[in-house]
Amino acid sequence: MPASELANPQPFGPGRLASWWASRPVLSFVLRRAAALVLLSLGITCVTFVLTNLVPGDPAAANLGQLAVGDPTAVAAFREHYGLNKPLPVQYLIYLDHLVHGDLGVSEQTHNPVRHDLATYIPATAELALISIGIALVVGITLGVVAALRRNRLTDHVLRVISLAGVSMPIFWIALLALYVFFFRLGWAPGSGRLDPGANPPPHLTGIYTFDALVSGSWGTLWDALSHLMLPAIVLAGWNIGLLTRYTRSAVLDVLQEDYIRAARAKGLRSLTVIFRHVLRAALPAIVTVLGLLFANAMTGSVLIETIFAWPGIGQYAYHSATSLDLPAITGVSLFVAVLYVSINFVVDVLYGVIDPRIRIT
Amino acid sequence: MHSSRSRSRRSARFWAGVVTAAALVAALIVASAAGAKAGHSTANTTLVVDNSFDLKSADPAHSGEPTGELVDRAIYDTLLTFNGANVATPIPDLASSYKASADARTYTFTLRKGIHFGDGTQLTSADVVFSLNRVINIKGVSSTLLAGVTVTAKGPWTVILKSATPNPAIPAIITNAALGITEAKVVKAHGGTSAPGADQSDKAESFLNSQSAGTGPYMLKSFDVASQVVLSRNPHYWGPPPAFQTVVIRNVAAPTQLLDVQRGTNEIALDLSPTQASTINSKSVLVHESPSANVIFLFANRNPQVSATASNADFAAAVRYALDYPGLVKLAGKGAVQAGGIVPSMFLGSLGAKQSIKTNVAKAKAELAASGLSNPTVKLEFPSDITLNGVAFATIAQRIQSELGAVGISVTLAGSPIATALTGYRAGQEEMGLWYWSPDYPDPNDYVAFLPGQLVGLRVGWTAGADATIDQLSHTASTSPDPATRAKAFQSLQERMNSIGPFFPLIQPGQVIVASKNLTNTVYNPVWYLNIAGVGTR
Repeated sequence: MPASELANPQPFGPGRLASWWASRPVLSFVLRRAAALVLLSLGITCVTFVLTNLVPGDPAAANLGQLAVGDPTAVAAFREHYGLNKPLPVQYLIYLDHLVHGDLGVSEQTHNPVRHDLATYIPATAELALISIGIALVVGITLGVVAALRRNRLTDHVLRVISLAGVSMPIFWIALLALYVFFFRLGWAPGSGRLDPGANPPPHLTGIYTFDALVSGSWGTLWDALSHLMLPAIVLAGWNIGLLTRYTRSAVLDVLQEDYIRAARAKGLRSLTVIFRHVLRAALPAIVTVLGLLFANAMTGSVLIETIFAWPGIGQYAYHSATSLDLPAITGVSLFVAVLYVSINFVVDVLYGVIDPRIRIT
Repeated sequence: MHSSRSRSRRSARFWAGVVTAAALVAALIVASAAGAKAGHSTANTTLVVDNSFDLKSADPAHSGEPTGELVDRAIYDTLLTFNGANVATPIPDLASSYKASADARTYTFTLRKGIHFGDGTQLTSADVVFSLNRVINIKGVSSTLLAGVTVTAKGPWTVILKSATPNPAIPAIITNAALGITEAKVVKAHGGTSAPGADQSDKAESFLNSQSAGTGPYMLKSFDVASQVVLSRNPHYWGPPPAFQTVVIRNVAAPTQLLDVQRGTNEIALDLSPTQASTINSKSVLVHESPSANVIFLFANRNPQVSATASNADFAAAVRYALDYPGLVKLAGKGAVQAGGIVPSMFLGSLGAKQSIKTNVAKAKAELAASGLSNPTVKLEFPSDITLNGVAFATIAQRIQSELGAVGISVTLAGSPIATALTGYRAGQEEMGLWYWSPDYPDPNDYVAFLPGQLVGLRVGWTAGADATIDQLSHTASTSPDPATRAKAFQSLQERMNSIGPFFPLIQPGQVIVASKNLTNTVYNPVWYLNIAGVGTR
C-alpha cells in the first residue's frame, strides 16, 4: 500500500471497491464466471425437473417390470424409495438441499448414487474426447494450413472435399464402416470395449485407463487401452477434423493477404518460419473460437460412438437415463455438461488473452 | 553468423519435433495392431457373451431384467431349474425333490445336503427362507412372483411354500433366477434384511453388486451395468464344474455383435436379428434360430368411453380376420412363428398352428359391414423406439395400417418412445395398441393377466365378468393341480379369446443365438436366454 494511503486512509466506499475491482481483472473475470455457473446450474436443475415431469411418462412404469407395475405395493415402494410420492416443488427443494451437500441422488436405472455413476463414466468419455480432440487439432490445423497455402490447386480441392465429407457423413455410419474395415476385414484394430475381454483394468487413479496404466507402469494394459482407443478416437475426430480444416483454411487465407506477411517473405524469412511464427499465430484466435464447438461435437458424437464401440461413457449413460426417465441421472448429466461448457468457454477466453495481447489490454 | 546458427538450431528443433511426432504416431499404430492381434486370441479359458444390456442389479432381490436373469442364473442356484430349452418339467437344483399338496397350495421342498457357499458355510433351509422373504419384502421387480406366498422352514433341510390361492405354477416360478438363494449370514452382515420394511431398510444391494454370495457355478468378479460383467468359476461348486474359468458378458449393440462374433473365439452373440444373422457367411460360427417366447400382440380397446369404434365387437372381428398373419411372420424373419394364442408355443397349454387365427379378408369385410361403422378411423399406438428380436414395432404398425386399410379401416399411427407410450397403455387409454409380453416364468399362469378384470385385460377395457365361459375356464386353467387338465383348459380358453376377445396375438419373433463353432450347448432358454454354465467346447 502506498505511504500516502497509510497516512490518510480512505474509507472503504463504493469508489474504492470499484477501483480495487478494476485493478484485478482476472479475479473479477473468474468470479463473474463462477457466479454465472451457480446461476446456470440452478436454472438447469429447475428446467430439468420441470421438463422431465412434463413428459407424459411415469418413472415407475419405465423402471418396474411388466408384472411389478401392476402391483400397487411395488409401485408405492418405488415411489417412496425415490421420493416421487412428494409434490414436485418439495422434490426440487430436497434435491437442492442434497446438491449443496454434494449428493446428486440415486439413479433409478443403475441403483447407484449418481455421483458414483458420473465418476465411473466421465473418465471413459474424457479419455475418448481428449484423444479425439488432440487428433483433430493436429490433423485439422495441418490440413487447413496446407489447403490455404495450396489455394485453388488440386491439393486444396481434395482437402475441401475431404473436410466437407467429414462434416457431412453421419458419425454412426463412419463408426460402423471403420469397425468393419479395420477390425473385421483387416484385423488392424481390436474389437469393441476399452480393453480386451477379461483383461483387468489398471489400478484406479483417475479412471482414464491410458493415464492410470502409464502411472502404474502397467505397460501391457497401456498398449491394450491405447489400441482400443485409437479407432473410436479417430472416428470421433472425423467431424472435428472437417470443421477445423475449413476454419483454419479460411483464417490462414485472411492472414496471408496481410502486408506484414509479404514483408516477412520479402525479408527472406524461411517459408516455415513465416507460417508458424506469423501466419498461424495470427490465425489462432479464429481457430480457438471453435474449440468450444469441438468439445460440443465430441460430447454429442460420443453417444453414438460409445454405442457402436461398446464404450462405457457418459453418452450411453445419458441416453439410457433419458429413455428410462431417470430424473436424478438426467439432472446429474445436465449439470456436468453445463459445468463443462462454462469451463471450456472460460479456458477459451483465457486463451484469447494468451494468444493476443491486445485482448489482455482491453 | 549468429543468425545462421540460430536458424539452423530452430530448424533442428523443428525436424526433431516432426520425427518425434511421427514416431509417436507409428508407435500408436503398432500398439493398435499389436493389441488387435492380442485381442483376437482370447484365452481358451474365457467365454465372451455379447448382449445388449437390460441390467440394473446383480442382487437377485432387485433383479428381473433379461440380462440380470442371465447373470444371476450363473451365480445363484434356485430350488428347481430347467434343463436347456425344455421348460415343461422343472428338475431338481438345490432341492433334491418336492411334493405338491392336492389343492396346489402347499409345496414342500427337500434340500440337498452338502452344498456350501464360498466361505464354507453349508446351505440350509434358513438361507432359503431368508432369500425368498427378502425378495417378497423388498417389494421390487420380482416380488410379485411370490405374491400371496409364505415361506417357512421345517428343520434344516425342508422348506415349505404356502400359497393363499391354489397355484400350480409355483414349481415353474421358483426356477426364476431372481429367486436364487443367497447366504443369509453374509447378506445380513452387509446390511441385508428379510423382515417387513426391507424395501426401505435393506442395504445389501451394493455389496451384492460387488461380490456374490451364492452356491452357483460362477462367482461375481466385477459388475458394471453399462459395460460388462465378469464371472469366475466357483471352486466350491457342488455340481460338475463349468467348462470356462472366466465368463465376460459385454454390453454390445447388435451391429457390433455381428462383427465381434465372427472375429472372436469362444464367443456368443445374443441379440442379432434374423436379418443380421442371414448376412453371416463365416464358417467359424453356428447360427441357432428358434421362436422366442416373446408374444407381439395387437388389441382393440373394449371400453366404449375410450373408443366407440374399437369397442364394437364386429369391428374387432373385422380386425382379427383382416390381418395377414403369414405376412407378419415372414416380416419377422427366420425362427419366427405365428402366435397361436397369447401363450407362447413352448409353454403348457399353447395352441398349435391349426388352432391359430386365419386371415380371411372377405369375412373381415363382412364383419365390418355388420358393425354398422362407416369408414371407421382408429388410432394405433405403439412404442416407436423398440425393436424386439430384430423386429421394429414401427414396421409392424405400418404393415397393420396397410392390411386394415385394405378392408376399409383407416389407421392413424401414433408411435412414441416406450417411456411415454407405457403410460397411456397402462392407464387403459389406448384405442388400439401394439405391444408385447415376455414371460416372467415359463408357465401359462403368467398369461392369466390377459383375462377380463386382470392386469392387461383391464388395460384394454376388458372388465371382470365380460365372458362367463372364460371365467369358468380360467379358474380350472390357473388352479388345477393336474397338468393335462390345465393344458386343455388353457387351450379352450385361448380359442375362446381368439374368437371373441380384444387381443389379436400376432407373432413370436425368432430368437437368434450365434456362437463360435467350437461351443456346445448354446441353447436358448425362454427365461434366462442361455445357461452360461452349461456352455461347453467340442
